[in-house]
Amino acid sequence: MKYIPNTDNEKKGMLKEIGVSSFNELIKDIPENIRLKRALSIPGPFDEEEIKERVYLIAGKNVNFFSFKPLIGAGAYRHYIPEVIKAIVSREEFYTSYTPYQPEISQGNLQSMFELQTHLAKLTGMDVVVPSLYDGASAVAEAVLMAVRITHKNRIIVSSLVHPHYREVITTYTEPHDIEIIELPFDKGCTDFSDLKNQLNANTAAVVVQSPNFFGGIENIAAIASEIHDTGALLIHSIAESISLGLLTAPADMGVDIVAGESQSFGMDLNFGGPYNGYLATKTRFLRQLPGRIAGETVDKNGKRAFVMTMRAREQDIRREKATSNICSNHALNIVAANVYLSLLGKNGLYQVALLNTKAAHYLKRKFAETNNFEVFEYPFFNEFVVKSKIDISEVKNRLSRKSFIPPLRVDRFYKKCENYLLFTVTEIFKREELDKIIEILGVSR
Amino acid sequence: MKLIYEKSVEGRKGYFLREDPYKEISLKDCIPEYALSRTKKELPEVSEVDVVRHFTVLSKLNYGFDDGFYPLGSCTMKYNPKLNEHLALLDNFIYAHPCVDEDFVQGSLQIIYELNQYLSEITGMDQFTLSPAAGAHGELTGVLIMRKYFMDRGELRHKMLIPDSAHGTNPASAAMADFNVVEVKSNKRGGIDLVELHKLMDEDTVGLMLTNPNTVGLFDENIEEIAKVVHSKGGLLYYDGANLNALLGIARPGDAGFDIAHLNLHKTFSTPHGGGGPGAGPVGVKKHLVRYLPTPIVSYNGEKYFFEEVGEKSIGRLSAFFGNFSVLLKAYVWILSMGDEGLKETAKTSIINANYVMSKLKKFYKPVYDRFCMHECVLTGREYKKYGVKTLDIAKRLMDYGFHPPTIYFPHFEPYAEETIMIEPTESESKENIDLFIDTMIKIAEEIKAHPEIVKQAPHITPISRPDEVRAARNPTLIFKEINENR
Amino acid sequence: MGYKLKEGIFYAKSDEWVSLNEDIATVGISDYAQDKLGDIVYLEEVTKGKKVKQGEVFTTIESVKAASDLNAPVSGEVIEVNADVVSTPSIINQDPYDKGWIVKIKVENPSEVNNLMSDKEYSEYRKE
Repeated sequence: MKYIPNTDNEKKGMLKEIGVSSFNELIKDIPENIRLKRALSIPGPFDEEEIKERVYLIAGKNVNFFSFKPLIGAGAYRHYIPEVIKAIVSREEFYTSYTPYQPEISQGNLQSMFELQTHLAKLTGMDVVVPSLYDGASAVAEAVLMAVRITHKNRIIVSSLVHPHYREVITTYTEPHDIEIIELPFDKGCTDFSDLKNQLNANTAAVVVQSPNFFGGIENIAAIASEIHDTGALLIHSIAESISLGLLTAPADMGVDIVAGESQSFGMDLNFGGPYNGYLATKTRFLRQLPGRIAGETVDKNGKRAFVMTMRAREQDIRREKATSNICSNHALNIVAANVYLSLLGKNGLYQVALLNTKAAHYLKRKFAETNNFEVFEYPFFNEFVVKSKIDISEVKNRLSRKSFIPPLRVDRFYKKCENYLLFTVTEIFKREELDKIIEILGVSR
Repeated sequence: MKLIYEKSVEGRKGYFLREDPYKEISLKDCIPEYALSRTKKELPEVSEVDVVRHFTVLSKLNYGFDDGFYPLGSCTMKYNPKLNEHLALLDNFIYAHPCVDEDFVQGSLQIIYELNQYLSEITGMDQFTLSPAAGAHGELTGVLIMRKYFMDRGELRHKMLIPDSAHGTNPASAAMADFNVVEVKSNKRGGIDLVELHKLMDEDTVGLMLTNPNTVGLFDENIEEIAKVVHSKGGLLYYDGANLNALLGIARPGDAGFDIAHLNLHKTFSTPHGGGGPGAGPVGVKKHLVRYLPTPIVSYNGEKYFFEEVGEKSIGRLSAFFGNFSVLLKAYVWILSMGDEGLKETAKTSIINANYVMSKLKKFYKPVYDRFCMHECVLTGREYKKYGVKTLDIAKRLMDYGFHPPTIYFPHFEPYAEETIMIEPTESESKENIDLFIDTMIKIAEEIKAHPEIVKQAPHITPISRPDEVRAARNPTLIFKEINENR
Repeated sequence: MGYKLKEGIFYAKSDEWVSLNEDIATVGISDYAQDKLGDIVYLEEVTKGKKVKQGEVFTTIESVKAASDLNAPVSGEVIEVNADVVSTPSIINQDPYDKGWIVKIKVENPSEVNNLMSDKEYSEYRKE
């Protein structure tokens, strides 16, 4: 049988050595009543070639995504992924290993965790980092629970421009816990903080702001930090597009207490939504409230540098129902991907990529402003921006997909009142000529 | 080994990007001053060759399944087929954006839809959600569904029963749904103590979270009675699928009275562990719970696959998108490779392998329960304490012989399970590898008597010796800081 | 039992000890408890002035591979915290009954110690 080395003969021999005459003697504990007495109705077994053909056929039912460049982002970004990353993450030592509970034979994973922790600390300005949670949504939900534990308060104020899916996940995670969630409205492309003062009260645990926000807008986080802190609440900064950190002020320098990020942009494929990789970064004083695995540096018996998983008493396998979270498996392999990506791009490369994203997106927006088909809005943004289309949205979709572009996101999918608004995402994968072509396609009246 | 930061050379580049083609646009006109970082972030500056060498060396400090025997109990470290990896990297899958219209992603949706059907058939559940990203994420989904079910019935229940042998994730997940965890003791045969279950199960109890086979590798023979007790008080029975490998094609949780089940595709369904993830933790439910599943699910109308909202009773959304698609795809491919026949053979072989290990080693390492086991056996290192050797030392010594140690000190529950060594050979291991492992375990037992120091100081030939974990926890160094460096 | 005991003080079932001097109670953990925990790496700081109740959690103590809640063996108000053990928790491992004391509590009701065990009773209780 495929993937099972032992032959029937060997198994017979083993049964004999165990001291039974048939396999059935080994499974007597399974009551007859609940045994499955028929074949499972599933296809297979197929040989390797048959499977490939089948799966290639299914893959062919997707559009040819490689040649369709996406003008859609909304929390999942197509950036160029250097080949080095695939070469490294497809090494068996990384992808077939288990959680590094045995540090003596897991230094590769542990050091890589430590390095990504350092990269993310440099990008966010924070002291401590959890390098892997499932995704940006679970990261921000965990950050909210963390803030509630730290402050012993239960009111959470969330910007309505936090990714709508992230907000839904926050709701799912907080629903059992008597946590009140208040949403702040938005105005054009940024959160309207004018009511924040009234909403903040002595019972507020945290304010959650995403920047760049769901509309790509860059929030003036520093401007709201002190009024939040004055009430004893924490400021949580959600980041869906972490490439922005190559250019934007470190969250710690803006008064942020907890960064809850998504690192998909650091070398991870779109993969229809996962696996991506969430992370948390915060100040040392909140260290013990962090969920998830953290690597630390120490020395071995001979004084040689070594890395281990540390601060483990927070975790479920030790603390059980009193753990800071139930998380066990995380997205460890994506730690390696993000680490390789950030190491390779380095100080200058990440800046360059972030710069190119900004400029390409601004270029396209300026061009849109010159056409008659789109209304544009003035707000600071990174690589995504909202326009109001004067041509029919389905027409936009048709024109773009005919020329092998994935159309932008319809904003009314999440914000019902925003009919005919589109969220364009432009990353470094677009060449200037391609952006000109998009203008050509969409700028004409017919 | 040096960190990538210690290899940094000012001005060195590992990545080349075309020149800025938008010279006419000034960055200052795009981003307000308050938001612009005044300096570039201090990431390392290294070349592509530096990076490749660095990570290649790092990889060699790791031990993967492909390096050798990996008998980690409860983790099901089976072979990760190369075919799965290949198919999960097809362009049309990896470049698929999660927010596009359904007509762009009919292939991806078909995989999700069909995998849902296969998992339902394999487990006897009616409908799955594939969105949970890991086992614990599946548990969270499950307990939230249980919560919602009772709220919907206008009942307020507070207690969740969890056996003392359960994984730590079970109580941690129950706590995330704000349930009070009540521990149920194991009996002297290794199952749930029925007398205690009867006592504890009441109308304030949500239900029981049960791993079956449990963490001592035994199938709870009283499962029908357990289901009856839980259901008689209106409770729900939750199946933790960590050990489903033993049951594939032999028995289905859905036929054994379980209302809800999570699976670990990275255990049972051959997807790689990736050094700790990503995995996938799909959750299946019986009909009466379908309306509480997380949203959305994928449906098919005979022509087209499409997303469907679950409705107002749904527990809501669990992930930013639809879960770990590439992991789902690998599990899908594995199921097609195995078929019914292969799945049954998987379960059967894993059970034979585990019992073989137990039968050969029980003279040397006393089993927690001396009975036939399922897909893993749980032995103990207790009798070597008198030589000053701990179970930990035995595990460490195995590394010197080229094995990954088994799971140790778990499960732990008194008075039965202490100093445990949990061995799960899986179906992937050949008889001669298993024999080699057995011989090595016996050899270590002899070493302990003759030269305990060798074992106590182990490992000797690994990239590092035992690290000082106390120092790591007392003076946490969690990021690299140049100023602290005087190496 | 192979663990050190101190006479004249009282022990809780959850392994804290308390020594009473008029209405001031000094609280720590037993030798048995420190041994079971292993190398202690962290003691969550207790704030002075905190009101505690007999049998209820007042702080948490961590070793590398375990964490344990400490219950107040008597009710009252925390008037002093041992700053030495907060900064160097290993003192608790080395000297659990003397230098390793954790907090001082101004007790509300000294008779609460009657709910606790003597060294002899505790020794019996933790007999292995």
